[in-house]
Amino acid sequence: MDSQVAEAEDLLPDPKALNGPAKSMRFVRGAGWTMIGAGTLIIAFLAYQLLFTNLLNSRSQNRAETALEQKFEEARVAPLEPVVLTPTSPPSTVVKEDQEPVPVTTPISFYEEASPELGTAFGRIVIPKIDLDVVIFEGVERNTLKQGPGHMPWTPLPGQAGNAVVSGHRTTYGAPFYDLDVMEPGDEIFVETVIGESTYVVREILIVKPTDVWVTDNRPGAWLTLTTCNPRFSARERLIIVAEMVDGPNFEYAQALLDGVIDVVGS
Amino acid sequence: MRKLFGLLPGPAPVRVLIMIVLSVVLLVALGFLFESAGDLLDNGGTIG
Repeated sequence: MDSQVAEAEDLLPDPKALNGPAKSMRFVRGAGWTMIGAGTLIIAFLAYQLLFTNLLNSRSQNRAETALEQKFEEARVAPLEPVVLTPTSPPSTVVKEDQEPVPVTTPISFYEEASPELGTAFGRIVIPKIDLDVVIFEGVERNTLKQGPGHMPWTPLPGQAGNAVVSGHRTTYGAPFYDLDVMEPGDEIFVETVIGESTYVVREILIVKPTDVWVTDNRPGAWLTLTTCNPRFSARERLIIVAEMVDGPNFEYAQALLDGVIDVVGS
Repeated sequence: MRKLFGLLPGPAPVRVLIMIVLSVVLLVALGFLFESAGDLLDNGGTIG
């Protein structure tokens, strides 16, 4: 009997040998589930960033569009009265490239626009070259930029003299500045606010560090600086488009300021 | 999910409530994680 049991035990596989494959199977299964979990998380992240944020932005832009149209309609019914300025020095002879001479012998109109409330839509930026037509908002807070490009409140408004800075997302939240890298000197940018439409022409394209705040410094004349992340899908650098005003309600005023024939008005 | 449900204390309605609360907390945490990680891809292009 004992010999039969011993023979039967010999026939059974070694428990140690069984334990090895079972352990490795558990490990493989665990690793598999971990990879499936990580993959699902990555897919969910990409879907959130590249699809869901665009949907959120689209809704915000549609709402802002309606509010902005109403604001523009009110401005058409009751246009802003310009401040009329008289030059204090002889006519200017300064002529910049691509620009008409600015007659400063006659009074110059200056259209001042009150600072919009933070987070509100106040204008539209149109760049035909990259097929961009979006509403711009006041402020560069995280929640504001989710709605569309935002104007840095401590810089002049677009359409005013000085350096107006507008920042926008490159790859998420509607990716308004996705194609900004294809802009070249000479390309046109249009900005419409309650004072009317201003035309800018690209003069410089820069790649800088995110901490290079000098790009937001004020400049003589009237400028528009667009800032966005660079390269695409990375916040490592900033792509900067610097454009100069060549037409608009405050163009003559900005030129007269540049020529030093009038003094700065307003804040 | 079933294992987790089985591990929760209390009667079934309490477990369901706990599961709902846990799901909401998980979603909020995921949203926060995605937003923070999203800043590495694109933080809006601001300067400074």
